[in-house]
Amino acid sequence: MERFIDHCCKECTHASDTPCKDFVRCCVEGPVCHDDPACSAKRKAIIEKVALNEQFVIC
Amino acid sequence: MYEKHLMICGATGCLSSGSQAVEQALIEEMEKRGIKDQYRLVMGGCPGFCEVGPIIVIYPDEVFYCRLKPGDMAELVEKHLVGGELVERLLYKGPDVDVPSRFYDTIPFYAKQQFNVLRNSGIIDPESIDEYIMRGGYRAFTRALGMDPAAICEEVKKAGLRGRGGAGFSTGLKWEFTRKAPGLKKYVVCNADEGDPGAFMDRSILEGDPHAILEGMLICGRAIGADEGYIYCRAEYPLAIKRLKIAIEQATEYGILGENILSYDFNFKINIKEGAGAFVCGEETALLASIEGKRGMPRSRPPFPAQSGLFGKPTTINNVETLANIPLIVREGGAAEFARVGTEGSKGTKVFALAGKIRNTGLCEVPMGITIREIIYDVGGGIKGGRAFKAVQAGGPSGGCIPAEQLDLPIDYDSLNKAGAIMGSGGLVVMDERTCMVDLARYFLSFTQKESCGKCTPCREGTKRMLEILNRITEGFGIPEDLDTLDSLAYSIKDSSLCGLGQTCPNPVLSTIRYFRNEYEEHINDKYCRAGVCKALFTYRIDRDNCTGCRACVKACPVDAIKGEKKEPHEINQELCTRCGSCIEKCRQDCILITPVGREADVSN
Repeated sequence: MERFIDHCCKECTHASDTPCKDFVRCCVEGPVCHDDPACSAKRKAIIEKVALNEQFVIC
Repeated sequence: MYEKHLMICGATGCLSSGSQAVEQALIEEMEKRGIKDQYRLVMGGCPGFCEVGPIIVIYPDEVFYCRLKPGDMAELVEKHLVGGELVERLLYKGPDVDVPSRFYDTIPFYAKQQFNVLRNSGIIDPESIDEYIMRGGYRAFTRALGMDPAAICEEVKKAGLRGRGGAGFSTGLKWEFTRKAPGLKKYVVCNADEGDPGAFMDRSILEGDPHAILEGMLICGRAIGADEGYIYCRAEYPLAIKRLKIAIEQATEYGILGENILSYDFNFKINIKEGAGAFVCGEETALLASIEGKRGMPRSRPPFPAQSGLFGKPTTINNVETLANIPLIVREGGAAEFARVGTEGSKGTKVFALAGKIRNTGLCEVPMGITIREIIYDVGGGIKGGRAFKAVQAGGPSGGCIPAEQLDLPIDYDSLNKAGAIMGSGGLVVMDERTCMVDLARYFLSFTQKESCGKCTPCREGTKRMLEILNRITEGFGIPEDLDTLDSLAYSIKDSSLCGLGQTCPNPVLSTIRYFRNEYEEHINDKYCRAGVCKALFTYRIDRDNCTGCRACVKACPVDAIKGEKKEPHEINQELCTRCGSCIEKCRQDCILITPVGREADVSN
């Protein structure tokens, strides 16, 4: 998972033609629809790569 | 993971002062040392302080390096990145600080600023939707999708947001009018046709945070029931257009633009229309005509665009800065938070472009209600060269000048209107004692006269007649009746022009007559321009009692009009002198005097 649009696992189905209403919140706080530490870590890795400091992320 | 993030200002201002060459040199230095992969380099948005560009801010250290040149990069890499030390000579230094300053917390330019609209500028990579989302982006839109459209309009109304493009009309009310207008097809239009000389607020927002504009348009679309939007942007803003196109592509890929957005029954697409730079196309109805492929000319209203706008459909038109405020208002608790800043009648913050004779040129975002003095002296650092402040032109060619006596005027819509100026889009052109107010009025009127579309007679003919009079006055042929004629023409044009251009273009003339009538009278009656600007109305003479014969003026004169022996008082040959002003700029003893034509005595004081 390099970008938020990439699926963390097969549970995630969000795409422009199969949209998920929780997508935006899921990018930073997800996964919302399932519970998997590995999927959460993938999102965290995207954030940590570019976050300038601790105040960078706004939920 | 990166050790540090280097945010280089990649906005148009810094690019033109060489930030791309700085970036290239930085990359080369890092590659030479084999450390490039440890650091993240981003050509980001504008941090505002254009005067000291090119700028690099290093995170997480939060160190602000400025006035950079490619040749500085070896030291920056060696000392800061490798050695972990500050490069003191590249930190901010100025007359307003005692020691070199590290960043926002110690640089006076930033002390009174509050970043709402510019919240992401210089912080995120403007070409990354992921970073926008990390900063809370598209959360307000997601919330809006679950709201009743009327409730969205109500929240925007409650926040007290007024249009940032000029007139200051209530944004929520504007949305409500379009929402209530009958019709299935409606449009949202973003007015990015920023045309005021010296203004670049919208350009910086578009270049630094393009997704904020898309989110503002999406929320507006949801509120008024539109499924399509247009961004009308000047073709002279290629970087803004490039970044908008990237943002639209990304938002479409992410399912934030398109059909059944985020599974809701809401479709929205955004088109970009490049304008050819006509000032009149900033006027709503002219802008709509231009999008439709017609000549950019205004039409009479009613019907207002909210009833019959683009292609005859109900349309809401908001400017860039207005739309950038929307996500902050529509997020949870955002309306109340927004309304806490500012004054009773003018809520939130305002972005201003500081230009002219001010020390710190650039962009600043300040709470509404801040005084002109605070902007000029605390944020802007005062007047260049330590000269005296004379006036500030607020609101561009449609605005008016505010004199030194009103330095403590709070900046809000109503106070500016009362003073004879307007908020406009936020351009502030600062003038010092060497600015001729008659020439200034002539300059702004010549701009609007050229930009008049010619459709209505008062604007087309009236501005031309006013300009002829002003030209005559500045050339030494003014007559005492001119002031009354200017006044009468100005009010006729204001009262009878078709659109905002004509209705506001006499403002610079009226406000300069109101506050600087003596200068007009001096031009007309004494044939004298004490500011030394109108070349037919003054001569330079050397004060022989104070001239030390240093020869600085001799060297500066491009036409060899100044003669004199070293350490002996010099003399200006009036036949040769072109009154270019090079000598007065160089004289350290202030002994170049501005005197009336044919008179020896100095009356400039």
